[in-house]
Amino acid sequence: MSDPRPATAASPTPPTIPAGILESVEVRKTYDLGRVKVPVLQGATLAVAHGEWLAVRGSSGSGKSTLLHVLGGLDRVDRADGGEVRFEGRSIRSMGRGELDRYRNREVGFVFQFYHLLPELTVLENAMLPGMVGRLPLAWRAQRPEVVARAGELLDRFGLGHRLRHRPRELSGGERQRVAIARALVNQPRVLLADEPTGNLDEKTGAGILDLLGEEHRRGLCIVMVTHDAAVAARADRVVWLRDGRIEES
Amino acid sequence: MVYASLLANRYLVSRVIPLIAVLAVALNVALVVIVVSVMTGFLDMLRDSGRTLMGDVIITHDIVGIPHYERLIEVLEATPGVAAASPVIETFGLARMPYGRSGESRPEPVQVWAVDPRSLAKVTGFEDAIYWRTPEPEVAESLAADDPRLDREFDRLAEAMAINDPGAEPSIILGIEISPFNRRTREGTYRPEPDAAWMPRHDLTLALVPVSAGGRISEPREGRFRIANEFFSKVYQVDSQRVLIGLAEGQRLLRMAEGPLYDPDGELDEEGRPKVIGRSPARATTILVKGADRLTPNELKMRVAAAYDEFAKAIDDDPEAKVKPPGFVDIRTWEERLIDLIAPVEKERALMNVLFSIIYVVSAALVLSIFWAIVHEKTRDIGILRAIGASRAGVLWIFLQWGLVLGVVGALLGLGLGALVVSRINLIHDAMGEPAPTWSIVLAGVLAGASLLGAIVAAARGSLLHGLIWSLATILLGAIAVGLGLHEGAVMWDPSVYYFDRIPSRVDPWLTGFTMAGAVLFSVLGAAIPAAKAADVDPVRALRYE
Ligand SMILES: Nc1ncnc2c1ncn2[C@@H]1O[C@H](COP(=O)(O)OP(=O)(O)OP(=O)(O)O)[C@@H](O)[C@H]1O
Ligand SMILES: [Mg+2]
Repeated sequence: MSDPRPATAASPTPPTIPAGILESVEVRKTYDLGRVKVPVLQGATLAVAHGEWLAVRGSSGSGKSTLLHVLGGLDRVDRADGGEVRFEGRSIRSMGRGELDRYRNREVGFVFQFYHLLPELTVLENAMLPGMVGRLPLAWRAQRPEVVARAGELLDRFGLGHRLRHRPRELSGGERQRVAIARALVNQPRVLLADEPTGNLDEKTGAGILDLLGEEHRRGLCIVMVTHDAAVAARADRVVWLRDGRIEES
Repeated sequence: MVYASLLANRYLVSRVIPLIAVLAVALNVALVVIVVSVMTGFLDMLRDSGRTLMGDVIITHDIVGIPHYERLIEVLEATPGVAAASPVIETFGLARMPYGRSGESRPEPVQVWAVDPRSLAKVTGFEDAIYWRTPEPEVAESLAADDPRLDREFDRLAEAMAINDPGAEPSIILGIEISPFNRRTREGTYRPEPDAAWMPRHDLTLALVPVSAGGRISEPREGRFRIANEFFSKVYQVDSQRVLIGLAEGQRLLRMAEGPLYDPDGELDEEGRPKVIGRSPARATTILVKGADRLTPNELKMRVAAAYDEFAKAIDDDPEAKVKPPGFVDIRTWEERLIDLIAPVEKERALMNVLFSIIYVVSAALVLSIFWAIVHEKTRDIGILRAIGASRAGVLWIFLQWGLVLGVVGALLGLGLGALVVSRINLIHDAMGEPAPTWSIVLAGVLAGASLLGAIVAAARGSLLHGLIWSLATILLGAIAVGLGLHEGAVMWDPSVYYFDRIPSRVDPWLTGFTMAGAVLFSVLGAAIPAAKAADVDPVRALRYE
């Protein structure tokens, strides 16, 4: 690497990319293991444009998941000099607890590599869950039909319409991931954050999931997808690399 | 928060884990309830028996007795705060029991109380303690056809109450454990032997040693007594040693009845007989006093002492009364009188309190850790919920509900189980006191054999888990069968060692409520603490928990 500072890094000149819906500015994240400190993100700067499908590539252990967690408000940047994550220009660090919960619940949807469905709930209930979360009983009663309809529609579209009452353990990996995506989309978030959504699936099943994401993307969903797989990344509009804790345009 | 209720619900109905939690709470509550109930019952019974046996305050003098005791009783009964008083002579004697049909008999030492049943019944629970009496109609139905109690002329309560009536035939009431023919049933009652061996159809002779007013011991005198009835005070020491006779008959045999008063200097009259200088009043060694309600034994004791002084002064001032009452008598509350029995129990009670605290803390810690472990397993779920926007309060609420429901259900089950065991504790104890019935040994053996078969089948099918479970069952059931076979019956609560004849118990509502509330509290805490811990950190930290 001849130039350690990519063009996207914060610089005195205005950024070349128009201000996006979601940005990270000079984000630093260090894991403190007592004696050793593991710096994972070392000034990662990234801007995601409205309606964009962005793939973040990087080798295993490069910090892709960490970056995504920071973007989704599931993890915090370093306390000192940790940079900033902004959603629609607003720093999520400045959000109160309630606001942050709301951000996770409404503004972004998260898809994990390992699905992370709740085993005690049915497929439909898992997909509906974000609709229930963050709504008081009265509001829920009013909105319930809407949420049920949306979850049902998504699952139907994902080919799971006949398995609504099943438990996650009765589903295959690909089916589980589709339930997880339905869950992430049920509250109609602005951005979908997907961490290796096909990482645990075979090629064919993975392609199915990617088709599904492509479909949502065409409907206007902004997607940030993390992967180490070139073929998967190829489905995105734009690919960036995470190397040495920084973002590099490919 | 709808999702909190939904999830709490799902966690509750999911498979075995809630069952384990409920069981843990129930067993702990039951354990504490049983231990505490027996402890409470023990102290209760002690308290009751004191009043049942001897009233609230006891005045005693040595074996010479208190003269003019009738006037003392008048003074006492006129004292505010005193409900009733009754005279007793306490002494020892030798009884010849009419054992068996062969007529052989052995003299046995007994503690003799000469009493007046009519007044005694006002001071103590004497009347209730009389055992053989005309049964209530519903009890009569359950009796065997040859039961003597079904006899129309069986009014033995009246007989017992009349032993000191003027002109009554000399009669005696025995402690129920004195006769070897009264076998206690499992229900804690006694069944009379229908034939000759049954005691209340016989006579016995009782030898007593008279002591004169001057303290001289005379030749023993024997009297023949009809056995009027038996009494059951529920205190083994008393039931196995004490006999009751009429006060007048006791005074007659012991030379404590009213009679001529001879010159203390041994002067003779004209006919060469000891000179009579007046009348010697009847004497009693003991006065039992019952207080009116709301007086503590110590308050009553003070009043009784004042009444005695008044009485002694009145007699001293009476020139007619040649025999003066003792200036000093022993006045004690029943608790002081039973100090040799109560003191160890009081010590035991202090020890019990420590034990109770330990049991309580241990069971609380157990409940807490079980709930903790279960909820800790749910850390990942908490991470997921937080990641999709659930608030910390919402997550906490899931587990608060969950812990609350399991805690309440467990506590109620525990109360039921504990109450069941407590209500059957003597039946359980008696069953354990006998060798195991053959059918139970055979059953355990057969089940062990079946398990062995199961283990073999499982092994043949290649199932490691089932093979292991069946093998374990075989070992357990085999051990039970062997244990039952070897068990010869162990009496843990031996009435000759313990003060009471039965294991007493009472479910104390306060302690039980306290125990149950504690169980619920620790269930909720056990659930809430790990949940709060998981909800407190960033969602990724909880998600990474495997
Ligand atoms: N809680 C933690 N404590 C310490 N180190 C951590 C922790 N979480 C992640 N790391 C380290 O941070 C680095 C980046 O982890 P991360 O999971 O973000 O990588 P990744 O790019 O997603 O890898 P993969 O492609 O294998 O999923 C790794 O070296 C990892 O060991
Ligand atoms: Mg990763």
